[in-house]
Amino acid sequence: MRVVHYINQFFAGVGGEEAAGTEPELREGPVGPGKRLAALLGDEHEIVATAVCGDDHASEHSDFAAALVESAREKGAELLVAGPAFTSGRYGLACARIVVAAAEAGLPALAAMHPDNPGLHEAAGTPVVESGATGREMRPSLERLAAATRKLAGGEELTADDGRIGPVARVNHMAERSAAERAVALLLDRLGGDREATEIPLPTFDQVTPADPVADPADALVALLTEGGFVPAGNPDRLESARATKWVRHSLEGRDSVEEGEFESVHGGFSTQWANAEPNRILPLDVARELEQEGAIGGLHTEYFATTGNGTTVADARRFGVEWAAELHEARIQAAILTAT
Amino acid sequence: MNAGEAGAGLRRLVHEVRELALGDRTVYEAGRLTVSEEAARSLVEDPALAEVGLACASPGEPVRIIGALDAVQPCSKGPGGGGVFPGFLGPALPPGRGETHVLRGAAVLAAGHLPRAQEAVIDMSGPVAPLSPLAATHNLVIEFERAPGAAWEDVEAAVRRGLLRVAVHVADAALECDPDAVEELPDPAATPEGRPRVGVVTNIQTQGKYKDVFVYGRSLSTGLATLISPNELDDGAVVSGQYGHPALKNPTYLHQTHPVVAALRECDDLSLAALVLCPEPVEQGAKELISAHAARLCAGLGLDAAILTKEGGGNADADVSLKMDRLEEEGITTVGVFAEMAGRDGTGPSLVVPPSRATAMVSVGNYDELVSLPACERALGGDRLALLDRPATDELELPAAAIYCALNPLGWGNLTCAEAG
Repeated sequence: MRVVHYINQFFAGVGGEEAAGTEPELREGPVGPGKRLAALLGDEHEIVATAVCGDDHASEHSDFAAALVESAREKGAELLVAGPAFTSGRYGLACARIVVAAAEAGLPALAAMHPDNPGLHEAAGTPVVESGATGREMRPSLERLAAATRKLAGGEELTADDGRIGPVARVNHMAERSAAERAVALLLDRLGGDREATEIPLPTFDQVTPADPVADPADALVALLTEGGFVPAGNPDRLESARATKWVRHSLEGRDSVEEGEFESVHGGFSTQWANAEPNRILPLDVARELEQEGAIGGLHTEYFATTGNGTTVADARRFGVEWAAELHEARIQAAILTAT
Repeated sequence: MNAGEAGAGLRRLVHEVRELALGDRTVYEAGRLTVSEEAARSLVEDPALAEVGLACASPGEPVRIIGALDAVQPCSKGPGGGGVFPGFLGPALPPGRGETHVLRGAAVLAAGHLPRAQEAVIDMSGPVAPLSPLAATHNLVIEFERAPGAAWEDVEAAVRRGLLRVAVHVADAALECDPDAVEELPDPAATPEGRPRVGVVTNIQTQGKYKDVFVYGRSLSTGLATLISPNELDDGAVVSGQYGHPALKNPTYLHQTHPVVAALRECDDLSLAALVLCPEPVEQGAKELISAHAARLCAGLGLDAAILTKEGGGNADADVSLKMDRLEEEGITTVGVFAEMAGRDGTGPSLVVPPSRATAMVSVGNYDELVSLPACERALGGDRLALLDRPATDELELPAAAIYCALNPLGWGNLTCAEAG
């Protein structure tokens, strides 16, 4: 089968973070880890091209994926593989996006990443197989990816035995009894000694390692971010008041504070009366500007990002986080203040 | 049962409503409730309201109600209510004894716009109707417009007062009628010994204006856990002024008919021993205090077990989880009723804040999953659904979160969620 392999700028040898803005391109044949993958795939399959994109570019331009898939099809691609992305969030998101785009275009596709990678939840129903946490585990990760690729190429469904990871969907249905009646029944089970009975298994959450403290705030560029549903008056982008599916950005250039009547909160989870009377309560631009003028911080980012944190799905919140990190990284921001409401 | 025990219980005189219409006089006869339009309107009219409209919506009709606010089950203990809805219509004193007439199968429902009220949808027929308790009742729908310049808090107070007044007015019409059923609700103190003593711990939302719930007419926002008799719920001791979280809302109607209380009354193996109402504060420290204090209160009541319910999502999960853990630490076996927030495709983590020690959870469904509503003939409560900016009668696709009480945290519904396959 003719295979196209997706990797990021780092594994393509373009460069590290300084090259994260690299634009998408398609190269002939296998590149970087693709060479080992090609060997593992054997003679039946050929990596005809390698799709490459910088992590920041991929995070900020979700259309990169459809464009690369289109180029891959022109190269005669019959299958697309992405990664392994290990625990790298932006790379994982890019891998997820390109396999989803390939699946939508009718190509079998799979990605490889670590179970903690935030991109895992962006892959929707497209298969992802487990990789190690870091590039030190490249070899076993590629072996698993190659085995899964061969199986997928054979038209078979990937399962947990192939290292397939990703949450199983929970689906609504009507039970025979009401929730209140089931609660009483569950209580009787528990009182009867069953210590396990439940309708909802406990979820597992990622562990996030905080970044190192800023060495000298006086040199740092600082961004203001908020999940307080904070928008220009009239909410021109129609940011949702609950269950946000997007985030917005607006310029702070030329402003020393955010004034009543010019900005407002559309957050549906709290009374916005006091936020709207004094918008700096949500986005503390007034004091941030003072700190900037005093030289306590190196400078403020020229724009703020906002979403609404009210019933937002974890998958959407993860995606916002990865996209914000990529944006801030590219703008050389060293610190951010994210106000929570 | 001796006379003293009978005196502490509540006798519920049930009048079934099978038909509802507007007319010249308010009359209840043989299952048919006719409501005087003029009388009902005059009970709602207020300087804060410019216009008051009345309509009927019965099960099976091709009607969609949008902007559904609170709903109330008609009840009365005597002309003018006789003490129901204490703190609003009756004096602020504990009710729940003597006799109460209820019109079962009927509800008085307000629909329209209030600040912070997220649009709540009820389809009276079609595939989504089974998700809403108010699709199964004959509803007298009160629509309203704000008077020019009126303060929104005055509009809200007028609508709430009007709903309660109309609910009493229509129940008064049945005071002289023979009931279809007589139900004896013993006082919890008189419940049989030898069975596990179970408390119903009900968290009620206290998040400021338009997201508040009243007990004897007061907000619990600065209060601690409060013990009341479950029978007081039937008489309207708890009244909702909470208009957010359409699917995760507990309207007055469902406090009056509290599903977990009802299920425990029906259970022969357990004793309904107490109802504990707790505020759902927004600060972490207050959540911890309320949870620890409520658990001590339940231990002091000698409870063996508890069923815990909430109102709202996310923030409210923290209250349930903390309280479940504290109750288990006190040796009280606890089941919590949770809504899942697993994303549209159902693959996200279900709970924002899960418990760590207590793990018995009942699921009322995934709030993010989409449901399809076919087009309908008539809409009440507004012409357009602002959420989608579409005509209210259109074919719609909405998250379950927008359907009124679809994931009711008091446990009304049959909706649940499980892994596919």
